[in-house]
Amino acid sequence: MIASLTGVVKRYGAVEALRGVDLELRKGEIVGLLGPNGSGKTTLLKVLAGLLLPDHGRVTVLGDSPRRRKGSIAYLPELPFLTAWMTPIGVEKFFRHVFPSFQAERFWELVRLLDVPPYPVRRLSKGERARLELASILAITADLYLLDEPLGGLDPVSRDRILRSVIAAWRQEVCFVIATHLVAEAECLFDRVVLLGDGRVVLDAVAEELRKRGKGVRDVYLEVFGDAGLPVA
Amino acid sequence: MDPSSGPIYLQLAREITRWIARGDLNPGDKLPPVRELARRFRVNPNTVVQVYRELERREVACTQRGRGTFVREDVDVDALRRALLKNAASSFWEEIRALGLSLEDAVAALEEVSCDRQLDRGG
Repeated sequence: MIASLTGVVKRYGAVEALRGVDLELRKGEIVGLLGPNGSGKTTLLKVLAGLLLPDHGRVTVLGDSPRRRKGSIAYLPELPFLTAWMTPIGVEKFFRHVFPSFQAERFWELVRLLDVPPYPVRRLSKGERARLELASILAITADLYLLDEPLGGLDPVSRDRILRSVIAAWRQEVCFVIATHLVAEAECLFDRVVLLGDGRVVLDAVAEELRKRGKGVRDVYLEVFGDAGLPVA
Repeated sequence: MDPSSGPIYLQLAREITRWIARGDLNPGDKLPPVRELARRFRVNPNTVVQVYRELERREVACTQRGRGTFVREDVDVDALRRALLKNAASSFWEEIRALGLSLEDAVAALEEVSCDRQLDRGG
């Protein structure tokens, strides 16, 4: 097993973002973490990444606390994190310096695959910048990849390239957790889907098992959350 | 792939069977590596592994350790072609029945369509 959460509760003041989450993440899986905005997806990823400590419960990554396993975790935050002056070459230098397991060769392969132009971040479109950020995170050698809304707000071409680069980066020994509310675009990528509603796991299912019953992940998602759960754009 | 029409691995297995039936892939040919096929269809790599296992179970493909998955030399391409035809015919027939039409109507419709297509090709 790569990671597990047991009875995890996380509060922000009076607001309970996670209300007792149990989850196991295994090798070779691409897990879709799905749910409407505010359902706790980002909090859950941050707890797994060791960026937030739970108020209750236990989180382990490779049998230890996420903070002690930092080198095994690659986390793509939802918000942009590269600075305006950085070019892909600058990103390579910076990441090599900060992450010892960063694979420069894989980074350039991903940059090519994701079609990122060699300009500084400030000259890139939103989609190009997101693709460069993903390339930098996927080039880190980790056991657990946590991607927060990698498709959010991007054009269809960018989304397609991102899906393909995740498949290119996938290995049998690692686990991907991809948080998104763009269910239809990404659902064929998932082995397993975890539906999060109001800080709780509402459904944890193998995607192909749902389809055997004639339902796509999107159909199930709509059943659970209703039309309100789907994004407008 | 349409995730609302049943498991992806069955849809993909049908697609590859179609490649063989059409002659895009021949007996003895190597199937694409798992990751490549996954990337082409934007599906989970484990799903492709399942597709290849299903094709082995149907005795259409065989996997050679370290070399990849191949279309079996002894695969009955004609039988695959007929199975796909039967499949297409059953959904066509279901539609005919749902519309309350007869076999004659179905045959007439097929003849008409094939005539139109031939004219299209000629002109």
